[in-house]
Amino acid sequence: MKVVIRTDKLSKYYGKHGAIKAVDELDLEVYEGETFGLLGPNGAGKTTAVRLLNCIIKPTRGTATVNGHDILKEEVKVKRVTGLLAESPGLYEKLSAYEFLEFMGALYDVPSNVLRERIDDLLKLFGLHDRRDDLLEGYSRGMKQKVLIAAALIHDPPILFLDEPTSTLDPRAALMVKDLIKKLANGAGKTIFICSHILPIVEELCDRIGIINQGRLIALGTVDEIIAQTRTKTLEEAFIAITGGVEEKELLAWREHRRDEA
Amino acid sequence: MTRHKWLVVARNEYRIRTSNIRKIRPYFPYLVIVLLAIYVSFIAPRLFSLFIDDILAFIITYAAIPIVQIILFMVFFYFIIIPITNTLKEVQTEQLEIFLAAPIKPSDVLLGEFLGVMPFYAIVVTVIAGSFTALMTPMQLDLAQIAITITIFVLTFFSALWIGTVTASILRTRLGKTARGKDVGRALALIIALPMIALMYAIMGGGLLQALTDPQTSGMVRTVLSVLPSSWGAEVFIGFASNPGNIGATGFETLTRFGGLVAFFLAALWLGAKAANRAYSLEATTFAASRARPDGVFYKTVRRLGGGGPFGTLLVSMFKDYGRRLENLSKIFYMLGLLALLNIFLIQPDDPEGILVMTAFVLPLLSAFVVGEVTLRGKEALFIYKKAPSGIGRLVKARLLKGWLIVVPISAVVTIATSLINPKNTLAFLLINTGLVVLMVAATVIFVLGLFLLNPAFSDKSGNLFVNIMIVMQALPFGTFLIPLIILREVFDLGLYATLSYVTVPLSWLMGILLLYLGKRKLSRIE
Repeated sequence: MKVVIRTDKLSKYYGKHGAIKAVDELDLEVYEGETFGLLGPNGAGKTTAVRLLNCIIKPTRGTATVNGHDILKEEVKVKRVTGLLAESPGLYEKLSAYEFLEFMGALYDVPSNVLRERIDDLLKLFGLHDRRDDLLEGYSRGMKQKVLIAAALIHDPPILFLDEPTSTLDPRAALMVKDLIKKLANGAGKTIFICSHILPIVEELCDRIGIINQGRLIALGTVDEIIAQTRTKTLEEAFIAITGGVEEKELLAWREHRRDEA
Repeated sequence: MTRHKWLVVARNEYRIRTSNIRKIRPYFPYLVIVLLAIYVSFIAPRLFSLFIDDILAFIITYAAIPIVQIILFMVFFYFIIIPITNTLKEVQTEQLEIFLAAPIKPSDVLLGEFLGVMPFYAIVVTVIAGSFTALMTPMQLDLAQIAITITIFVLTFFSALWIGTVTASILRTRLGKTARGKDVGRALALIIALPMIALMYAIMGGGLLQALTDPQTSGMVRTVLSVLPSSWGAEVFIGFASNPGNIGATGFETLTRFGGLVAFFLAALWLGAKAANRAYSLEATTFAASRARPDGVFYKTVRRLGGGGPFGTLLVSMFKDYGRRLENLSKIFYMLGLLALLNIFLIQPDDPEGILVMTAFVLPLLSAFVVGEVTLRGKEALFIYKKAPSGIGRLVKARLLKGWLIVVPISAVVTIATSLINPKNTLAFLLINTGLVVLMVAATVIFVLGLFLLNPAFSDKSGNLFVNIMIVMQALPFGTFLIPLIILREVFDLGLYATLSYVTVPLSWLMGILLLYLGKRKLSRIE
């Protein structure tokens, strides 16, 4: 299988003498057409990894290739082959959905004649065509997320990065996004890189997953492989076993302490 | 054919700015051009022809050049700080990710953002340049002189706007990544206006213009002004006005000043483009989180003043939340700066009533800044109190006490300091003045708290905030102080102190208590 994302000791350090290791020597391969999930607790380094792979920030050490393009030497080429749904994206609230997608298409050099048709198609797909001229400030959170996913798809990139794609959505919108991701992976043959801490999403959508904690990749494989590696029964248990969690007996310790004092 | 990326960004920026007039957007540029053409061709020439004799007399005075330089400097400075202030008020970096993930150069983003807002500033530049041209046309300038005049305006103001845009973008990137940075931005947004206010007050009451007409006192100001790029054009204008139709008479001056301005504009463009990479970055600048220290003497005292129990803790929490926002501290600093400037430039030290008039008009704004933020954090912040037992009563009590503990001491110190400027003022004068100010300000705090609860502003963009500020700044001092003062003077021949003692103070307290009662009632009904 063709490798479309390959990282080689990819690292991003911050602070004095690189004391804070946001991403630490990440070695990873993602294959063409697969849906890969990067799983980790808050602050684990998922968003930093995505930003590095999209050439938004530069690595402290190491490098990576995306669709064969080096993230250090071929920034523009990398950006053209990727679409990104950021974790906390900035929408232009004073633009309509159509205007925003038109702007995004122009940024990615989509020819004008193709762009109009594609915007219409995407807005129809997401059920937003009737409200295409409404300003985004009047959209619900789910509708805004749909517009942002449409924006990530506007230049029809072969690789799609989705950073927490459903974390702010209600169940209905989340289901719609999940179905769309499945279709993009299976029907359109896109390579999808999902970052999330919502385990069922990753479990349902991803062919393989990587678990990252404190910047380091600590597990890699299919869901079944990771469960087997950790000798647990579910992905949730495996995740806790790998990343650590609060022991059950500690949960009410604060109350016991007060009782002792009394 | 692919479009230039800066054009895409500029178009987007223009669309954002004109989203409120989307229906007339296609005709908007034509409408503006027609209106500006009417102003420049018909209105301005007729308007300025009325003053042409005075203008001609002014041109030959010694003060002409520095006064035009000051006017140009003020507009130049204004064009620099407007984009900075707009950015600092609400530092947003979310959209940066869109640009950084796209195949676009930072310099294209910067140029696009600049060009996108330029049409709106171009309207102002056209009005100013059109007015100046209309002023100078009757002097029979030739075409070359008029063309250079217009070009000078364009270069001067657009280089200022470019500097402002670049600086704003860099500040946005530096400050926008952390909550602390955003707070610093909001704090700076207000403070940055103080130099401009100082200059205005210096012109209005500080005798700056008079000093400039005097060759002996204007030397230093002239030297300072001549260094500023905004001033170079002024020397060319005055040269043209003194030698209409004869560009050769001031050939060397025109060449050096105009050439200098062109070089400055190009240098600013080049340096700005170089700085673009710094202006668009999502690299983290700091990971150091602000940490709370153990309570010191100040918070312990506040806790004691609040009774030491749960209410004292509540009061201290409010002080901490207020004091740790630089934005709040900058508002107090801004008010102190304003009071200092008023004292320096506008209030005469030997005018005892001036101090009281100043406090009656300026200190209500301080109260509004300190107490008016009661609802600014949104309804959810208020619901915390609504949920707690007797929460609303405690919120009102704590906010009132907090307002008094901040505003009253500041007002007292300011009054004492301003009274002490004139050594002739007696101790009795100082005590009476301070006492009256304290009573007035304490009532104002109640009034403001009541008003902001009755007409809550849940964000700093709310129209209610503007209405409330206007009531506090205009209706309150006029209604309780100035109008009663005029009436009592005319009808009963009573003076300032009698008005303050018999009308202003009791009326402010009465209105304050009434508003606070109504505000508290409204608060309990907010859903």
